[in-house]
Amino acid sequence: MLLALVVVRWFRRAFVAVEVAGESMTPALLPGEYLLLRRARLPEGETVFGRIVATRDRSGRLLLKRVIGLPGESLRVGAEVQVNGRVLIEPYANGESAVARYRGVQRLGAGEHFLLGDHRDASTDSRDFGAVHHSRIEGVAVYRYWPLGRGGRLRRPRRRFAAAE
Amino acid sequence: MNIQTVVQRLLRPAETAYAHCDIPCGIYDPGTAQLAAESVEKMMTLMADGDASDINSQARYIAIKELNAEAVKHEVRIIWGDFMKPPDLATTPDLHDVVWEIMRLGSACRQGTNVDDAKALRAKVDEFAGIFAKVKATR
Repeated sequence: MLLALVVVRWFRRAFVAVEVAGESMTPALLPGEYLLLRRARLPEGETVFGRIVATRDRSGRLLLKRVIGLPGESLRVGAEVQVNGRVLIEPYANGESAVARYRGVQRLGAGEHFLLGDHRDASTDSRDFGAVHHSRIEGVAVYRYWPLGRGGRLRRPRRRFAAAE
Repeated sequence: MNIQTVVQRLLRPAETAYAHCDIPCGIYDPGTAQLAAESVEKMMTLMADGDASDINSQARYIAIKELNAEAVKHEVRIIWGDFMKPPDLATTPDLHDVVWEIMRLGSACRQGTNVDDAKALRAKVDEFAGIFAKVKATR
């Protein structure tokens, strides 16, 4: 009994369950799905790329977005994403980014991450609210437990770049 | 209430996380495509009427027509793909043909300098705007 209590307390401290609302992370996340977020600070380095993380906007809403740019990198975000001048291959992204949303080059500072929604036409993200410091990232989406048919670990994509011309 | 609904309710998290978009989704307007088509026609008319030896002006006309012809295709694709739905074909059976013509004419305007292509593109985009208004009125 005591062990069960300890496990429950540990689980509640380590994870938080959330329901997805909105379509900016489709097709990776669909509205109405239930996820487990691991409450943890982001690790350093490339292993963070592609993780779906949670941060809060000014009104306190928890947001889900994917980590695209890492600290120290230069990003050019338009119809495609360039990282340090190399074009990122993004099989998870969908929708066309309008040319008008081209935001130029952004140099990420220490601890700053650039977050984008996968559905580029329908996402409010770092293109709008800027880079997010790792101290403002509250968790990492690690597991989808509903619907059962789509359940399982949320794996991060490998970071790949188009071959230089 | 079936078992699945009961389980789903039991498992439902207390907190919501937003994969959100602050821009009110569902706003579509063919006006941008019409404006771009008009720009293409204007640039191609200027190219036809202008001094071909004025390379700077010609380069500017070409750059603008390229950008706007592609913008026409982009804007029309968005409305066709995101706003239009299969049931709309019942009231607008020529929708696909009009879109296909716009794609073809948009490319023709990028590839060539024939003002007639630009005029035809503009007419088709206006026709598409009419279809859009008709469908929107039914929503």
